[in-house]
Amino acid sequence: MSEHRTEDDSDFSAIARLFLWVDDKKKVDRFVYGLYGACALLFGADFLYHKHTYVPVENIPGFYALYGFIMCALLVIAAKGLRIILKRPEDYYAPMDVETEDYPEDQMERLNHGD
Amino acid sequence: MAIESLPTAVLFFAGAALLIMLPQGRLRAALLLAVPVLAAWQVWTLPFGDHVQVNFFGLDLELMRVDKLSRIFALIFSLAAFLGNLYAWHVRDTVQQVSALLYAGAAIGAVFAGDLITLFFYWEGTAIASVFLIWARRTEGAYHTGMRYLIVQISSGVILLAGAVLYYRETGSLAFEHMELGSPGTWLIFIAFGIKAAFPLLHNWLQDAYPAATVTGTVILSSFTTKLAIYSLARGFAGTEILIYIGAVMTLFPIFYAVIENDLRRVLAYSLNNQLGFMVVGIGIGTELALNGTAAHAVAHILYKSLLFMSVGAVLFRTGTAKGSELGGLYKTMPLTMIFCVVGAAAISAFPLFSGFVTKSLILSASAKEHYYIIWAILLFASAGVFHHSGIKIPYFAFFAHDSGKRPKEAPLHMLLAMGLTAFLSIFIGVYPEPLYALLPYEVSYDSYTATHVITQLQLLFFSALAFTVLMRTRIYPPELRSVNLDADWSYRRLLPNIIRAVANTVSKIWAANSAFWHRTISTVISRLYNSHGPEGRIAQVWPTGSMVLWIAILLGVTLIVNFLS
Repeated sequence: MSEHRTEDDSDFSAIARLFLWVDDKKKVDRFVYGLYGACALLFGADFLYHKHTYVPVENIPGFYALYGFIMCALLVIAAKGLRIILKRPEDYYAPMDVETEDYPEDQMERLNHGD
Repeated sequence: MAIESLPTAVLFFAGAALLIMLPQGRLRAALLLAVPVLAAWQVWTLPFGDHVQVNFFGLDLELMRVDKLSRIFALIFSLAAFLGNLYAWHVRDTVQQVSALLYAGAAIGAVFAGDLITLFFYWEGTAIASVFLIWARRTEGAYHTGMRYLIVQISSGVILLAGAVLYYRETGSLAFEHMELGSPGTWLIFIAFGIKAAFPLLHNWLQDAYPAATVTGTVILSSFTTKLAIYSLARGFAGTEILIYIGAVMTLFPIFYAVIENDLRRVLAYSLNNQLGFMVVGIGIGTELALNGTAAHAVAHILYKSLLFMSVGAVLFRTGTAKGSELGGLYKTMPLTMIFCVVGAAAISAFPLFSGFVTKSLILSASAKEHYYIIWAILLFASAGVFHHSGIKIPYFAFFAHDSGKRPKEAPLHMLLAMGLTAFLSIFIGVYPEPLYALLPYEVSYDSYTATHVITQLQLLFFSALAFTVLMRTRIYPPELRSVNLDADWSYRRLLPNIIRAVANTVSKIWAANSAFWHRTISTVISRLYNSHGPEGRIAQVWPTGSMVLWIAILLGVTLIVNFLS
């Protein structure tokens, strides 16, 4: 990477500047609170309309919300546990594997054509 | 010859032949775009029916069986070839260009195959043509990976041929129609399809090979081979119950790997495997709704999966790496790529207004309607899991997360065009699914946009996002680490070679001990003989020269008598 210099927000394109808030901790917090709010609203929505269901468990209020949350949390925790058994250093299969190789620069074809 | 009487695959092969004669440059790249357009137009205008018969060593081969099922797959394959070639506009490597055309052509040829022998030829064709997209990376690791890929793919074809031969003996027919699983022939065909469809434990060629291909090669690889297998299963084994359970396992286990995998292209390969599981479940259920769901989901899946591979490919193209541990903060300089990636992520996660929402629900509804409640719950879990690792993880670790300090240029214009077009199609199908529904094998009377479906899906997705956020903020979420994870391929990359090495070592040790023993024994005998009978030996001392002369005289005498008597 090039040497460090102070970055200015105006270095980035207009579209990119729309997302700069993700580097601001306060704004991210606000976004997360927004997510909490949206989740609460969606959970509440279950009491407000008539659900068309095929599967008995669907009738439990907030079933989809709870199922999504619990299963995802379990998924991540289980996967993290699997790392203990499955994780190996990156050069485990080397040199029969591309994992440790740099991507070949000549395959990037960073020439001027078509760019 | 009129274009109607040409098999669509031949268009691609002719295109590849023409390509070599053209000079490298824009003309060639344009030809690569023109061929799929021409093919799609041909497929679109062909009436249903069997169009091309060829006699091959006394076998009547059926090269162009056009019906609703084969047409939709041929159309989406043509579209995928077009989008992939547009994305690869900058590539000036003849090997990749030719192999992209041959590969797409072989896949479409296989889709139109009306008999098992034609299917076999094209089946092997896809294997041989596609491996060059991996070898084109031209590194030692890619060479070995390509070899493993080729061995698995060719084996699948050989098993298919063996199955076809047995099937011919059982039934006297080679027609590629619906089969009942049970005889050895049909089982072999089923396994051959299963290898290409990446059934559990037969799946690892996919996660091994796809991340090893070139930037553009992976995009092209992701569209054809596995979806050809899905088509073949739908054609041959619709309604086979075991597929429901195989499919359910397929949706389940790859998501665990996807969460802890570092290479983002391999994460996508795992989620590809998981999406195939949905389609396999649909085939297993086998009702009209379920098969429609499989076909529709294959179409939507080819688009959003290409889109995701394109966006991660663009990141690889600009930064030289696709590893989550090395990336982050790229939204600042690659915002368009980021947006397209998010569109792909939303489509695979089945957000309302995106393509996955209107296609995956057909399969989930079919499973609930046929009272497979456990399967339905597994599919629902897998849907939430997909959102978790493909929907959030891919865009998050590539474009946001911690700032990697990398400030690459935005993707080149043609890549942005390809991604934009694919993103547009993914949204278009989600907003207005009727044109897609009209192409499906059976009549569709299904409305995705009911209040229940939209709200429940949003609940599922938002609470999955909530889980991600909570785990991220409590730092429970596993960080991206430079590592590889053991999977089923460990059995043939480590275990089997180790066993072979151990056996070889033991055998060679036994051999060495054995020959050493005999060597020693014989040497001892020789040296003892030498000691006793040699020139310095004990016995030699008591042998007078005269006794030698006497013996020779006796020998000569005996010879004389024998000669005289006979």
